[in-house]
Amino acid sequence: MSAHEESLNPNQYFEIRSEKILKLRESKNPNPYPHKFHVDISIPVFIQKYGSLQPGEHLTEVVNLAGRIHNKRASGAKLRFYDLHGEGVKIQIMAQAQDSERDFAEVHDLLRRGDIVGVRGCPGKSKRGELSIFPKDLVLLSPCLHMLPKAHYGFKDQESRYRQRYLDLIINNNVREKFITRAKIVNYVRKFLDNLGFLEVETPMMNMIAGGATAKPFVTHHNDLKLDLFMRVAPELYLKMLVVGGLDRVYEIGRQFRNESIDLTHNPEFTTVEFYMAYADMYDLMDITENMISTMVKHITGGYKITYHPHGPEGEAYEIDFTPPFRRINMIERLEEKLGVKFPPPSELHSDETNKFLKELCEKNQVECSPPRTNARLLDKLVGDFIEVECVSPTFIIGHPQMMSPLAKSHRDINGLCERFELFVATKEVCNAYTELNDPFDQRERFEEQARQKAQGDEEAQLIDETFCTSLEYGLPPT
Amino acid sequence: MELSLEELRRKKLTNLSQSPFQQTKFSITSSAEKIINLFSQFNKEELATKKQKVNIAGRILRIRSFGNLTFSNLVDQTGTIQLKVSKNKEFMGLDIGDIIGIKGTICKTDKGELSVEVEEFVLLSKCLKPLPDIHYGFNDTEERFRKRYLDFIINSENKKILITRHKIIQSIRQFLEQKEFIEIETPVLVSEASGAQAKPFITHHNKLHRNFYLRIATEIPLKTLLVGGFEKVYEIGRIFRNEGIDARHNPEFTTIEVYQAYENSEYMMNLTEEVFHYLSKKILKKEEIEFNSHVISLKNPFRKLSMIEAVKEHTGIDFSHINNLDKVLELAKKHNLKLEKFQKTIGHVILAFFEEFVEKKLVQPTFIYDYPIEVSPLAKSKLDNKNIADRFELYIGGLEFANGYSELNDPIEQKKRLEEQTKQKELGNEEIASFDKEFLEALEYGMPPAGGLGIGIDRLIMLFTGQNSIKEVIAFPQLKSKES
Repeated sequence: MSAHEESLNPNQYFEIRSEKILKLRESKNPNPYPHKFHVDISIPVFIQKYGSLQPGEHLTEVVNLAGRIHNKRASGAKLRFYDLHGEGVKIQIMAQAQDSERDFAEVHDLLRRGDIVGVRGCPGKSKRGELSIFPKDLVLLSPCLHMLPKAHYGFKDQESRYRQRYLDLIINNNVREKFITRAKIVNYVRKFLDNLGFLEVETPMMNMIAGGATAKPFVTHHNDLKLDLFMRVAPELYLKMLVVGGLDRVYEIGRQFRNESIDLTHNPEFTTVEFYMAYADMYDLMDITENMISTMVKHITGGYKITYHPHGPEGEAYEIDFTPPFRRINMIERLEEKLGVKFPPPSELHSDETNKFLKELCEKNQVECSPPRTNARLLDKLVGDFIEVECVSPTFIIGHPQMMSPLAKSHRDINGLCERFELFVATKEVCNAYTELNDPFDQRERFEEQARQKAQGDEEAQLIDETFCTSLEYGLPPT
Repeated sequence: MELSLEELRRKKLTNLSQSPFQQTKFSITSSAEKIINLFSQFNKEELATKKQKVNIAGRILRIRSFGNLTFSNLVDQTGTIQLKVSKNKEFMGLDIGDIIGIKGTICKTDKGELSVEVEEFVLLSKCLKPLPDIHYGFNDTEERFRKRYLDFIINSENKKILITRHKIIQSIRQFLEQKEFIEIETPVLVSEASGAQAKPFITHHNKLHRNFYLRIATEIPLKTLLVGGFEKVYEIGRIFRNEGIDARHNPEFTTIEVYQAYENSEYMMNLTEEVFHYLSKKILKKEEIEFNSHVISLKNPFRKLSMIEAVKEHTGIDFSHINNLDKVLELAKKHNLKLEKFQKTIGHVILAFFEEFVEKKLVQPTFIYDYPIEVSPLAKSKLDNKNIADRFELYIGGLEFANGYSELNDPIEQKKRLEEQTKQKELGNEEIASFDKEFLEALEYGMPPAGGLGIGIDRLIMLFTGQNSIKEVIAFPQLKSKES
């Protein structure tokens, strides 16, 4: 880039470059958006294949590769250096006028930082030992009309990074890795469940009722059918109906939608995996979950321990240890320990007395709870403030009261509790599971209770799903 | 007063000493399929010697007695196996549809039928409503989908369709993984319903105080990932189109879109064919299938011809030599083709001829390439002809299965095309590609030349399972509300 261009602001740069490219589009000399460049080797493979060459060594074989230029540097009139990036790695282009098959100036004056180019040339290493390609020709494949953010200052503003995610990926090295890891995680979950004989299914994302979890839904409207439809908050009810239908082990990895505020751990749409296993109970599921997660961490990172920065790279670090078995905490017992009180017996946890008790407990310990101040919500806030915060390494919380979980089976021994667990890591909930309620009478009663709570103003309480209740009447195996 | 069947069952339930709904677990050691695979080979005497014990669970679908013996069919996810029970009054008290767990020994009856002799059983869940009669069947299309679980219980072959669906999608992922593609999830809630031409759903986000559309395609964000430096990327995901439902259309359906940098339409055509061959080998294990009342051969290579050639073959008209708009419109009139205002261009007419006279006749797998540019706003035009897009579609059994092209990466050209689409909207075309400013900005940073491909997964499953209605391949298809 000329010294003049360095001083331009982004708008001016864009105007000038666009004009140049517009002219080339007319003259096609050369065409700035050519149709095809044959690539026969990727940059990572190039590095693998030629990385062990000696400094100063030049091969005669010709290869074709392509990528994005991040840096352009001239050294006199007959030498140009570029950094060519692709798939998270980079090599040097060392263009010497003597090697060029076309007019050297013509080829290189055209190119700018950010351009996507194709290179035909010979692999080698510079005298300094830098792995390079020595081009016979360099072809512009797609020009970058804007100034790329400088690698120096970086591209850090969060809003911009997400709005122009492609720039985030181009400039910031570690972002690409995150998505590759994400893909690995999803792959691992699929293979793990497939190996246990589970069937992956797709259930509707748009329903006539939004049930299966407590959350506010998105509404949309189908024109032809003249129907209001809700975006699903969870696939649970459909998956259980499939178990009724005889698909004993099913799972779905898919998008869920919650019409709520956005923060560091909440996006209006997010991905979950839900799996159901007939004839298994909550304890089986705890073992499977522990197994799946710990082996996944080992598979992807090579070990069980990871370091996590919940508030960004400059903030505090959590040391998270996924070595099995994970810690198990009993909800009420732990609250009693931490707060130094005795809770009412589980069978009384839904009563008005307990409501009073919980309200007082919250006040005494400065725990806030917005209305409606139902027992379930008060308890949920207490757990959030006192137990969840200590769950950095994976921890199972068990022993939930029945009133918090309309879809969970009652505890087999303790009246008032249910068979449910949640898994917390880095103080956030990552899993929620239970032995499924399969008694149709019980289920209907629970839904009705929830409908009452909704009438009280808890917008998130579930609506009664008739189709689901009917399916239970045909028999859902213990799941 | 006589109790209804349902009331009788409820009464039975209340008379039980322990409610089956308190059961939480049953340890199974095998399945119907496993038992059949491992033990069919042995005869009655051999099995009697083996005394192989199993625990299995499932739903009983038949109960019949012969003297002291009771026989029943137990169905689980993998199949059906016969149960043999001697002298057990309690077993006789079970109803068809009940879910039980049994402990027993594998045996063969006198008639040579592989069975499990039941030693102990436990009721795991009560079927309170009588199942539809197996003899009459459960065939009413509306009912089957409203109570899809009953469909799967009574018509167990429909379970197999979902199992095949799982295998197909699993195989496509394996195929792409081997080629080092990465799967990335892109947003369902979008600001512009772009990447295709269809009517979108709209919804409202309360806290952000704004509307969102539900995506009608995954093309645009996947292409911005190409700008971001991912060179081989795909997504298998749910798409939403606010249109009528019929045997080929569900408002939400699944597609796969694949993009590869530095490649083009021809490459993606070959990749498409490779996918079909891979699937037919892995899933069907044969190369011929019955679909849409035709026998289709998936043997390679698939036939390839341009749209103009295809129209010539089926109508005799050779559009490659006709450049005059009036002449073209006259031909359309002569052939009784109704054209909307926005369709009065040569390209649109050629497409109209294709859709009317050719499409449905493409029974054996056929690639049609070289599409009019007016209907391909996101595709690169051909090097030698800017009115034709470097684009292809795959037709099998008269239906479209795949669509792909050399991706347009020139932002200036792309802007022109989208503006042209907006003009078409003013002339009455309701299904246009929407103007997506953010996508144009991404292109200004340079998207590598690339090839892209899209396949309708539901249609693909229909092909491989020989189904004519998309409802059969979707677990819970969208139905009209009961009142309407």
